[in-house]
Amino acid sequence: MDEQFDFKKKYRNILLILMTGGILVSLAVILISKPGASRIWANVLLNNQYFIGLSLGAAFFLAVHRVAQSGWHTLLQRLPDAMTTFLPVAFILMLLIYFGIHNLYSWTDKNLSDKVIEGKRAWLNIPFFFARLVFYFAGWIILTRMIRKNSNTLMTSSDLKYHNRKILFSGLFLVFYGITVSASSWDWIMSLDAHWYSTLFGWYVLIGMFVTSLAFITLLIWLLKRLGYLKYIRPDHIHDMAILIFAFSIFWTYQWFAQYELIWYGHLPEETSYYITRLHHFKIIFFINLGINFSVPFFGLITINSKRQIGWVAIIAAIVLMGHWIDYWLMIMPATAGDKAGIGVLEVCMTLFYASLFIFIVLRSLSTGPLVIKNDPYIEESLNYES
Amino acid sequence: MRSSSYISIYFDDEVPMLQAVKKLLDSKEKITDVLSPFPVHGLDEALSIKRSRIPIGGFIFGALGAILAFGFQAWVFTVSYPLIIGGKPFFSIPTFIPITFEMTVLFAGLSMVAAFLIKSRLKPDISFKPVDERITDDRFVILVDTADKESTLNRVKSLLSGIHTLEIR
Repeated sequence: MDEQFDFKKKYRNILLILMTGGILVSLAVILISKPGASRIWANVLLNNQYFIGLSLGAAFFLAVHRVAQSGWHTLLQRLPDAMTTFLPVAFILMLLIYFGIHNLYSWTDKNLSDKVIEGKRAWLNIPFFFARLVFYFAGWIILTRMIRKNSNTLMTSSDLKYHNRKILFSGLFLVFYGITVSASSWDWIMSLDAHWYSTLFGWYVLIGMFVTSLAFITLLIWLLKRLGYLKYIRPDHIHDMAILIFAFSIFWTYQWFAQYELIWYGHLPEETSYYITRLHHFKIIFFINLGINFSVPFFGLITINSKRQIGWVAIIAAIVLMGHWIDYWLMIMPATAGDKAGIGVLEVCMTLFYASLFIFIVLRSLSTGPLVIKNDPYIEESLNYES
Repeated sequence: MRSSSYISIYFDDEVPMLQAVKKLLDSKEKITDVLSPFPVHGLDEALSIKRSRIPIGGFIFGALGAILAFGFQAWVFTVSYPLIIGGKPFFSIPTFIPITFEMTVLFAGLSMVAAFLIKSRLKPDISFKPVDERITDDRFVILVDTADKESTLNRVKSLLSGIHTLEIR
């Protein structure tokens, strides 16, 4: 019960090598093939958004389960908790956007004589953009930190007050997150196409975030089990993770389709422009996105036996993680890089850098304490959980 | 209810009920049936009941519903009664999807209900008199098969002495 993840020097070195390799190759590609500033900054934004989404989705996973006072997730709660420690790093990475803001967002141009964007100036201006950015991150970082702190106190103390406080902060986080995730997705992604708007967008992004985090938590369980930890995580827990991935992949498709169909039916020029650029210029990726994120988890996890095998669920989770990266790519790249957009060495290496950084931070945070919070009141329920 | 004689053990919670089931099976008592107001996790495994095949039927009928709904709309809007709606082409897949989805759910749902009713031989005029009204409400009941009621009752009572039961008779 007191087992602790040992973040061995070997793993650290592998991750550091991947990190430096990723950033060096990216720099080499930038210097040699000159992909254009907007594509480089779009890559930064894409990966920021993706990995912030992983952290926030993990926090959302915990908050929902804690507010609902669920028992089954108690054994694996340290994994999503560790994933939220990426947020302070993500904040710094997101502030980097300041240097490339003119390459990303057309609305930052002061001399733009555009009636539509003029009308949105009250929201879309650089000082307010960064004020909001700081506000979002302040809330996310403080709330997830408070949740994590109270949760970690339960490793040593068995006072129920910390447990109740955790639930309180989870509730606060849910409210704050529900609003800010929408607003941040308008800021960071939707305003790339400054003319375009979709009222469903925030929700769509939220579900995408949640699915990626579920997939990542599953992969983390798989990894730790391969390394010989988490013996008490049984097929019943994996079953529930798989159910969540399955259900929320379908829900993501529902959101995707609800957004697409209304715009397709309404046929208003300012709305269809978003889909026309993506469907006409990136047709293959457009359908790959839909295919991977719906068909793979749907048919891959539909039977009960497939949901209970960690190896298989991990494969599906990995595919879903890739699929949602493509989903963010489709949201961000066509709007910024335009015709220069593509998935090449630059994209792969940038993502490699971010992914190894993210995994490094998560594993380092995991190694700071036991993998199970043994004074959690629901621990017995989770140990005997049958799904 | 049943012609053979049996003992019924009443519980007001699922957890002691599940413990009792495991204990009874460990000491080789024959459990005829377990009645519960809602599905209890782990009960099927404990009683080694084979998994239901209803989901397979649900999938097949769901697929059938999807094909029927899609095919019907495609036929109506291209062959039988082509109409121009909002300047869209006659064969436009996005318009067909909501109805296809709904029909899939409807077919899967109804077929599973029907399969369940047929399989468990439930029909409207069925007459059924429960031994105790509470078993149709909020009670968990284990029925243990017995040849000699007196001795089994004593055995079961001593076996379950550590578990919170409401009544054993």
